Amino acid sequence: MFIDFFYKLKEVGIPVSPTAFLTLHRALDKGLVQSLGDFYTASRAILVKSERYFDLYDQVFAHYFEGAEMPEGEDGYALTEMARMMLDSWLQDPKTLAQALGVDESELSKMSPDELIEYFKERLREQTERHDGGGKWIGTGGTSPVGHSGYHPGGMRVGGVSRNRSAVKVAMDRRYRDYSLTGPLRQSMMGEALKRLRHLVPTGPKDQINIDATLYQTMKNGGEIEIVFERSLKDRLKVILAIDNGGWSMDPYIPVVQHLFYHARAQFKELKTYFFHNTIYDYLWEDPTRYKKPRRIDEFASWDPETRFILVGDASMAPYELMATDGSIHIEERSGQPSIERLRFLARTFRHSVWLNPVPQGSWGYTRTITLIRQIFPMFELSIDGLEKAVEHLMAD
Amino acid sequence: MLDNGSGKTFSGASKYVLDEELARIVNISMALEMPLLLKGEPGTGKTMLAHAIAENLQMPLIVLNVKSSMKLVEALYQYDTLTRLNDSRFGDSRRDVSNIEEYIRMGKIGQAFTADTRTVLLIDEIDKADTDFQDDMLDVLDQMEFDIIEIDKTIRAKHRPVFIITSNAKKDLSDPFLGRCNFHHIAFPDPKMMRKIVNVHFPDIDSQLAENAIAAFYRLRELDAVEKRPATRELLNWIRALNMDPDFRPRDLAKGDVPYLGVLFKKSQDYQIASNSVRRRRLF
Repeated sequence: MFIDFFYKLKEVGIPVSPTAFLTLHRALDKGLVQSLGDFYTASRAILVKSERYFDLYDQVFAHYFEGAEMPEGEDGYALTEMARMMLDSWLQDPKTLAQALGVDESELSKMSPDELIEYFKERLREQTERHDGGGKWIGTGGTSPVGHSGYHPGGMRVGGVSRNRSAVKVAMDRRYRDYSLTGPLRQSMMGEALKRLRHLVPTGPKDQINIDATLYQTMKNGGEIEIVFERSLKDRLKVILAIDNGGWSMDPYIPVVQHLFYHARAQFKELKTYFFHNTIYDYLWEDPTRYKKPRRIDEFASWDPETRFILVGDASMAPYELMATDGSIHIEERSGQPSIERLRFLARTFRHSVWLNPVPQGSWGYTRTITLIRQIFPMFELSIDGLEKAVEHLMAD
Repeated sequence: MLDNGSGKTFSGASKYVLDEELARIVNISMALEMPLLLKGEPGTGKTMLAHAIAENLQMPLIVLNVKSSMKLVEALYQYDTLTRLNDSRFGDSRRDVSNIEEYIRMGKIGQAFTADTRTVLLIDEIDKADTDFQDDMLDVLDQMEFDIIEIDKTIRAKHRPVFIITSNAKKDLSDPFLGRCNFHHIAFPDPKMMRKIVNVHFPDIDSQLAENAIAAFYRLRELDAVEKRPATRELLNWIRALNMDPDFRPRDLAKGDVPYLGVLFKKSQDYQIASNSVRRRRLF
């Protein structure tokens, strides 16, 4: 029973184990599950072991038992792409498209591009539903395991749709969306993100004697002296934060990142923020306008090499900006070194460095410059998960 | 009604507002004899749940507060070497020095195993300890027994305790450990639920005060960049404080006058952010 459901969970990336699946069946056999609502809670408690996956679980549950659309994955992507194409053709020839959709052209022309895309998506969804709505799981006399005529040997019988609705509706509420840890960092995740940064503290060698533990161990050994060492505290870290504030694509992330590090600054010995556009040439700027206070890259060689160097940017640009000797758009930056050499220099200077990228990791392979920069700096997604991994990397020896 | 093996069903307690979903999970875990792992923000009532279960099912509650340096063996039993050394030196106690068993003291898990009735064992904030602690515990959970090495004796659980384990998610728990537990994440209560909770604690509270306080509380929780957001405990204390103040009128809250912010925000940075935004009335 529910093997499809189990595999669907696995497919979307929830780490479900067969043992847990068997446990779920034990619960079913014992008659502990008497409604779809029970099944929703029981299978979540038994199969899903972290609140990060609750949101995915809700989506799969709603999809499996009610045929709700799955927003993740290729379908959602295709939908967006389709809507984009429609927007393009709208811009070229508004009249034909309006006619095709059967709406008034002037109606559409009032909307902003974003609204238009949403509107197109809405229309596309209606289309798909009308044509192949057979994928719903709850219907009468269908092949569904949980329909009116559905029957479970363990005694589970679903009374009617109204009962199912409630559990599915609960799932469709997507109460756990905020706990999902993928996706770019948002203001609401600040607290969680700060907790991840807390690990950005140094640990020294074990070179201090713990007198209490030594006494205890010695007593336990019957007088044989055993000295217990522990870690001494080390100085706090220096951190350089370099942010790409050039393109509009970075705009939503800059305040989040700056706030994040600003609130964590008490745990650092020193926190410096610099700005750049797309990539680094001869200068980093202390002011966000990248005009008043330039700092030469060569000067960074005199910094403490133990400083943690964190770059934040989408690393997406035209390849010549990275590779050409005159790639910079700033006329004064003409030292003749291509940006990629500058990046290598920084990576050599600071052995603990990471690049945080708000672009989802899945699409990094499509951008040439991301691939190139990844070879120089370890790159992590600007998400809670990515941040955690980045901190781990920065603290590794 | 669900049968969870003990013939009893958990349905809430006098000072605990239980949502139906959680009640189901508690009952299923008890019936499957699996530990229940609870995660959630501080102040969502993880620890209170164990107290409520114990009260409701009238089982004794044993609490193991996990500390960061704790080894599992401390939770099982302790061999009091120091007393034994002392006794062997001075010999003025009635204990038999040659019998090591007299110097073995049961830890919290040991107490739960040797108790004469079924107990509720709360293992509080397990994520504080090393992963070793969890790994060592796997065996104990599986076998329901442990060995006392010093006297080569095996302690079996007389009654399988109801395990409630809480975690604040400071560290991730290991996969094998998670595999043996049922899991639930307690989300922060919504305002309606919070109203119920407040009513349970303050049965005769002025309803205008309760509503205004809860509304202000949720607005304050929305503040960006606050590290430690106020939780249920802070709200209850805050309401208590407001109740005690003879000069306070619930109307003031709606006007944007929020006294005793220090009860809600306990980190100085957070306090500053909160008091700034209250002063600027940006919130209200």
